[in-house]
Amino acid sequence: MENDMGLIVKTMARATIPLIGIFGAYVVSHGHLTPGGGFQGGATIAGAGILFLVAFGLNEAKKRYDKNLYSVLEGLGGLAFLGAAMLGLSVAFFYNILWRDKIAFAGQPGTLLSAGFLPIMNLAVGLKVFTGLVSAMMAIALFRRWKK
Amino acid sequence: MNRTFGALALLFILGVLLIVANPQYGLKFGLGGSDWQKYRYTDQYYIEHGIEEVGGTNIVTDIVFDYRGYDTLGEATVLFTAIAGAVALLRPWRRDEDGE
Repeated sequence: MENDMGLIVKTMARATIPLIGIFGAYVVSHGHLTPGGGFQGGATIAGAGILFLVAFGLNEAKKRYDKNLYSVLEGLGGLAFLGAAMLGLSVAFFYNILWRDKIAFAGQPGTLLSAGFLPIMNLAVGLKVFTGLVSAMMAIALFRRWKK
Repeated sequence: MNRTFGALALLFILGVLLIVANPQYGLKFGLGGSDWQKYRYTDQYYIEHGIEEVGGTNIVTDIVFDYRGYDTLGEATVLFTAIAGAVALLRPWRRDEDGE
């Protein structure tokens, strides 16, 4: 079944998908320094996946999409988020103990390794949003219910 | 003719909204002037103490992941529930396979 797009769209998608991914990774990893964060960066990377599906078609995307891997990664993101929130459970839930007691990620404010559990949470939420959105999109694309 | 009238009506509504929503002399949502600093002191607190207490220079991330962490947890849960619901509703049902 032909459901991919033409040569021009495919070439443009090949050129832009890595750039979109790099920009999304930048937004996620600098979430505690510059505007953006886990949700926004994860949605940006998921946009690269959606561009792949639109340009190359469902059959090509089905070969590269592993349901079990994406389920595991989404669960891992959620659990890492909860675990980072529970690090300071001796004081309170969501207590930023890494930053207040200067354990790890405790550099100068404004550097990449600062702000305690914020980078960990940004990475976890970015992973969760990326895998979740790609899974939802694949579900919508695979299980179409209308007749031909 | 109809399209011109519609466009003019849209423009008129936009103008009325701009006048009504102007905080100088139109509707006021909440307290205007300098009164808000007396009652909404949390905004100023986050801006002043965010960097030393949480450490991120992006104050929005400080609020979303530290001061209002429960909200973000609920948001992640909502995302998970939405995806689970989409998959559960859209996957092939047993009745569909029998009918075909």
